[in-house]
Amino acid sequence: MRVSAPATGSGPDLGPADYPLSVNRQDLLRTPTGKPITALTMNAVVAGEITAEDLRIAPETLQLQATLAESVHRRQLAANFRRAAELTAVPDAEVLAMYSALRPRASSKAQLLGIAENLESKYQATVCGALVREAAEVYERRDLLARDEED
Amino acid sequence: MTTTENPRSRRTDILEDRPVNLDGFVEEWPEKGLVAMESDFDPQPSVRVEAGKIVELDGRARADFDFMDTFIADHAIDVETAEEVNAIPSVEIARALVDPGASRDELTRIGRGLTPAKILDVVKLMNVVEIMMAMQKMRSRRTPANQAHSTSAKDNPIQVAADAAEGALRGFAELETTLGVVRYAPLVAIALQVGGQVGRGGVLTQCALEEATELELGMRGITAYAETISVYGTESVFVDGDDTPWSKAFLASAYASRGIKMRFTSGTGSEVQMGNAEGRSMLYLEIRCILMAKGAGVQGLQNGSISCIGVPGAVPGGIRAVAAENLIASWMDLECASGNDQSFSHSAMRRTARLLPQMLPGTDFVCSGYSAVPNPDNMFAGSNLDVEDYDDWNTIQRDLQVDGGLRHVREPEILQAREKAARALQAVFAELDLPRITDEEVEAAVYAHGSEDYPERDVLEDLKGAQSVMDRGVTGLDLVKALERSGFHDVAENLLTVLRQRVSGDLLQTAAILTDEFVPLSAINDANDYGGPGSGYRLQGERWEQLKKLRHVTSAENPETEVS
Amino acid sequence: MTAPTAERTLTLKEVGPAKRASRPDEVVVAVSPAFSDPFTKTIVDVPHAEVIRQILAGIEEQGVHARVIKVWDTADLAAVAHTGARLSGSGISIGLLSRGTAMIHQRDLPRLSNLELFPQSPLLDAEVFRRIGSNAAQYAKGESPAPVPTRNDQMARPRWQAKAALLHLKEFECIVAGRKPVEVEPVISRA
Repeated sequence: MRVSAPATGSGPDLGPADYPLSVNRQDLLRTPTGKPITALTMNAVVAGEITAEDLRIAPETLQLQATLAESVHRRQLAANFRRAAELTAVPDAEVLAMYSALRPRASSKAQLLGIAENLESKYQATVCGALVREAAEVYERRDLLARDEED
Repeated sequence: MTTTENPRSRRTDILEDRPVNLDGFVEEWPEKGLVAMESDFDPQPSVRVEAGKIVELDGRARADFDFMDTFIADHAIDVETAEEVNAIPSVEIARALVDPGASRDELTRIGRGLTPAKILDVVKLMNVVEIMMAMQKMRSRRTPANQAHSTSAKDNPIQVAADAAEGALRGFAELETTLGVVRYAPLVAIALQVGGQVGRGGVLTQCALEEATELELGMRGITAYAETISVYGTESVFVDGDDTPWSKAFLASAYASRGIKMRFTSGTGSEVQMGNAEGRSMLYLEIRCILMAKGAGVQGLQNGSISCIGVPGAVPGGIRAVAAENLIASWMDLECASGNDQSFSHSAMRRTARLLPQMLPGTDFVCSGYSAVPNPDNMFAGSNLDVEDYDDWNTIQRDLQVDGGLRHVREPEILQAREKAARALQAVFAELDLPRITDEEVEAAVYAHGSEDYPERDVLEDLKGAQSVMDRGVTGLDLVKALERSGFHDVAENLLTVLRQRVSGDLLQTAAILTDEFVPLSAINDANDYGGPGSGYRLQGERWEQLKKLRHVTSAENPETEVS
Repeated sequence: MTAPTAERTLTLKEVGPAKRASRPDEVVVAVSPAFSDPFTKTIVDVPHAEVIRQILAGIEEQGVHARVIKVWDTADLAAVAHTGARLSGSGISIGLLSRGTAMIHQRDLPRLSNLELFPQSPLLDAEVFRRIGSNAAQYAKGESPAPVPTRNDQMARPRWQAKAALLHLKEFECIVAGRKPVEVEPVISRA
């Protein structure tokens, strides 16, 4: 799987005038499979050239949207988009399993740290990994770890 | 109730029989949190920052933070400005909220650093008209919009498709469905998606389900956005809901990672309803929810008490608190889908009064569920407004010259859209080898009002079909292909264009909707620029001409005829 | 809201600690801390005497024995009902909150599960309570009765939601932490 672009710096310098990207900056938009967004036409669908995978968002695009959100002072929204960029690489079923593991009293501290480790090493998802580590700390303090589990 | 020896006056008899007296009202009980927004048991505002961390929040030291305090302190509040903005007298902030001369940008800057108790302290100074004034300015999207429920008491997909098409034509920007029998979900979600794109291109759809299933339908492109991601204001109730701020924040990222628009849901009254308000007022707890949503980085929030509206609705000042919670969501720079979506009162007068604080200033979605089906078919347990109120709504828009997102549509256009939606769904079901939709059902859909007007479906066959949609992994793209193959080229094109939006991520930005030309309209390119009289969104021009039309208007040119 | 013509009152006379029974032909009716004292009627003014009378009649018409216990340390319906189920000789219980909310539970089910749930207290009348009793008794006999039809009312929320919350809070105040369930003898008298 691909590694997402760095948080800031290397991407284009976007501002509010670039939004909506689907209208103003089609040149920047590609599917996760590398097709330009303009390739997603009905003719291509009919010809069988488009798969469901082509209708997903690419991590680079989420980084662009994060830059846009920051340009209008929405730092938490931008942070969410950056976590999302990391999660594009994680398969659907694994995303759902991680969500379940984060529910209260669903995981031991070791299990949560294992998820964080997996996010960081397998998917280079460091922002997501940090969120899970933070959850592990808070759950421990607030007695929200799984009970009767060995650490 | 009580037996009385004295005879009653005839006037008392008449008043006793008024619908408003079927509503329930209770006294406040602040110690238990059964109080709207003015309680001696709410904390006093305070904030202290040390080494770039908030170490005291509303009178509580960091060591004593529950997980809501922790999440809000670490994710929602701007540490750099917190001490500065919390030191501004509340009355100054409240006046700035109302003052057209103070810009929205300046107020969101201040808002980013405030603590929950400080926010409460500010809005407590505002009466309901001031709350509306502030909402007019603080709403994130310039152009107001509206959202509908399209459901069926029999989970009948043909009904959902036809009513979705009519709703879209009448102007709803978003359509939401849910189920009586949950296993019906795939068929009904498909019906909503197909019907919505018939009424007008660019309508966004969602299916309210348990969190994991809702995400799965979204991932497949059968729905376009999600909303039923509930958050609560106390740690114990949050945990009872089997989530934490971290699990919800992760879920928010999961949705964005698939290019799917999403908002959280919260509302006054939910904590006291579940018996764990920890002695805080309903609004104080709701402010914690709003800040939690903000901290999670979700773009928006559905609030305005929602399914607990009977609780704030029963206490003094409760509907003022509900208006305040919508305002605060907007002030915190979130998209606000502002309630008015649950059965609220037996009194038509009271239903309207409850609606005006959102309808008059305009919100991102005035209703987070106007029932686009008759209320008995509403599987969200009924809305404050339903199809039978369409003409009243349109008349109020025309009387007061406000844009509530809807318009009057002439009968032939409606019948045409309903028929086309039913035909398109009939074709999609046939293409996907799902249980047959008969011509008789299509015919019924054109002229129907509610689910009882449709021929009965074979429910067991439908449920098998629904299961096969999941087993076969049918996606939104399959719907596009089925529509295209069966000759519904324009509907197919509309749906493909909606799906293509995922690739751009434009709908992930705050308060994004699609215009009927498929242009994303959000708080970035349609940022609210209200700055007093003559500025901001004004109902004028072509849109105002549209809203002047009603079912019956006497022609000025020829008073013996009507225009419509 | 007119009161029934013959107003009955209910007293729950404490008999002793509630024990697990061995007779397989019984249903335990487990009531919440505020049931019959201080509350005397459901959210829609069905007297608790009438609730108990109908439920017991429903059980007994199936030839099954009924036993009533009061649960003191929780007002959570699932917990009240499950406590009853664990003490019931048949493993079947009916849990009842003061406002009328009811549940049929079974010992072997997880606490948060149930056989039948009646969450809309404003819609429960004497007839429904009798049918709940009858169904519970049929489960106790190992039968599989058709569930009691549930009703729905769009306007229950504006009418009753806040009062239900208030009754819920009051019931919580009557909890006696740590106090074990008590077997009670229902005494119904005409006022």
